[in-house]
Amino acid sequence: MYRYDEFDERFVRERVQQFRTQVERRLDGSLSDDEFKPLRLKNGLYLQLHAYMLRIAVPYGTLNGKQLRQLALIGERYDKGYGHFTTRQNLQFNWPQLKDVPDILDLLADVEMHCIQTSGNCIRNVTADQFAGIAKDEVEDPRPTAELLRQWSSLHPEFAWLPRKFKIAVTGAEHDRAAIKVHDIGLKVRRHPDTGATGYQVVVGGGLGRTPMIGKVIRDFLPKDELLAYLEAVMRVYNAEGRRDNKYKARVKILVHEIGTEEFVRRVEAEYAQLDGPTVNAPESEVARIARYFAPPAYEALPEDSAVLDAARRADPALDAFVAQNGFAHRQPGYLALTISLKPVGGVPGDMTSEQMRAFADIAERYSFDELRVTHAQNLVLPHVRKDDVPRVFEALKAAGLATANSGLVTDIIACPGMDYCALATARSIPIAQEIAKSFADERRQAEIGPLQIKISGCINACGHHHVGHIGILGLEKSGKENYQITLGGDATEAAALGERLGPGIDAEAVPGAIETIVGTYLKVRTDGEAFIDTVRRAGLDPFKASFDAYVAGEPA
Amino acid sequence: MATDAKAGAKGKGPKLPVILSANRLLEGDVVYLTAGGWTLDPASARIASDAETAAVMEAEGAAAAAANLVVDPYLVPVEIDATGFPRATHFREAMRQTGPSIHPDIGKQAEYAH
Repeated sequence: MYRYDEFDERFVRERVQQFRTQVERRLDGSLSDDEFKPLRLKNGLYLQLHAYMLRIAVPYGTLNGKQLRQLALIGERYDKGYGHFTTRQNLQFNWPQLKDVPDILDLLADVEMHCIQTSGNCIRNVTADQFAGIAKDEVEDPRPTAELLRQWSSLHPEFAWLPRKFKIAVTGAEHDRAAIKVHDIGLKVRRHPDTGATGYQVVVGGGLGRTPMIGKVIRDFLPKDELLAYLEAVMRVYNAEGRRDNKYKARVKILVHEIGTEEFVRRVEAEYAQLDGPTVNAPESEVARIARYFAPPAYEALPEDSAVLDAARRADPALDAFVAQNGFAHRQPGYLALTISLKPVGGVPGDMTSEQMRAFADIAERYSFDELRVTHAQNLVLPHVRKDDVPRVFEALKAAGLATANSGLVTDIIACPGMDYCALATARSIPIAQEIAKSFADERRQAEIGPLQIKISGCINACGHHHVGHIGILGLEKSGKENYQITLGGDATEAAALGERLGPGIDAEAVPGAIETIVGTYLKVRTDGEAFIDTVRRAGLDPFKASFDAYVAGEPA
Repeated sequence: MATDAKAGAKGKGPKLPVILSANRLLEGDVVYLTAGGWTLDPASARIASDAETAAVMEAEGAAAAAANLVVDPYLVPVEIDATGFPRATHFREAMRQTGPSIHPDIGKQAEYAH
């Protein structure tokens, strides 16, 4: 894991002190609310429906046990004993008080964390594949790149007041688990087909929200050492030409769409040609210094198979199901990565209590080289577990209420906070997720249905990624009531696609039945072994529309 | 947008009766204007049944915001139920009067039984 150097430490401490005095000046009236608001937002502090909300950056979703314990402490001391992991791999507290926030920021700084640039029109927390450094299909660990981008973008003076927020995601693998095509910039580490050199495919202009777009490739291969200068050129074009007259048209996706990919590339390349690359790009020694922090842990030399785990799986069907569903093949023989679902049936997607954080910190410290990851699907990962240890880990997870075996299944639902917390929401999200999960609670039935991603947003800003859900649900207000639109066929991977509307919006009470209807149609239409998203792609929307229309009309299935 | 739900957001006067809501600057809690200050309990909110009273309450809210006691004060249309409780007519504001629907153990619903 990356460790702060003296500069990082000083920068974060100074920022805490600045914010402390800003709060003091707000409270004594020296700063008006209009003056204070952008300052608090730049430190991740929102005013939401019921209270303030503090968004804490988890750079590229990587944490250690000490950090998670500190989050547990903050949750207990300054909040209501729980936190919420988000689709941006961050953590949010829903109930902090303004007067306590400077102290909270100090506690975060103690464990090399902060809230800087988790809001506002700047480059936000850089996200990455949760299986970085683990996946067998990986060209290179994306975290050194993400950390380099964190350092480059933190308080970058030129990009502190962009037309709108800006999100960057990085993957180093063939299979995209970081949703890079729906970010402002998506980076994929790849090898040059001829030379074998390492570089990046650069995707720009993806995004969700009210105008969803799939990103466009603007460079198929960018040499690795040119990254910062090239991104600086992209940012300069966006900063100069992004729409500042209309916040709904201010994201880079709109600029790329309006002028066309070809013209956008021309402008970026023209800007890039004028840049003095060597003064912008990170020195090789700095890139190497960062990369060393992400060197693989001290694995034991183990055989690929574990007789201990195999025997335990035969003896315990629950363990067997857990490993089958939540296990992820590790590149290191004898090890396994485990997804830890924060989606117990009937629970709040992404929520974790302080007690669970402490229990999980214990597990990560003892069994996973003191490392854990946050996924954009609002789950956690134990990245490096010895297969021999998996039965013990499973018992510890069970004791903490963290052993739900549903990773990637119909009950592993992404849901934004929605109107239960969010000031922007037009409808609730979490209760919809809870009711759907209850409807599909039977584990055997979930397994029979197979991989199916449901994603729910409580407004068009799409924090719940509904556009790229295999089934997407968007909560809106209609005639003073909550109303939900269903989309089908979205995909956040390398085969990125935006879902299409199935039909008219429906009431909250009707949503679980609608999902049952869609799943029922899938089970009838699918061929042997065909996953939900593949059936939708092959069969198209028509069979689903027909059954959905019949359901809405109240006809028997 | 959610702000459309706020009374008077479209430039017209809100539908009466109304109460006045804001957030406390220091803590962030949802508060309501009373006859003599601010309350956390929505049942104790001062109710305006006419436009003049609503205007006076709005002015009090603006003064409290200027004095750095609260932020973002605005009028909330309500209906007075059988118990006399001024229940917000819009579901967003009703949620602010109770707390998260998914956590009956948290928020005003846990602290004040209505």
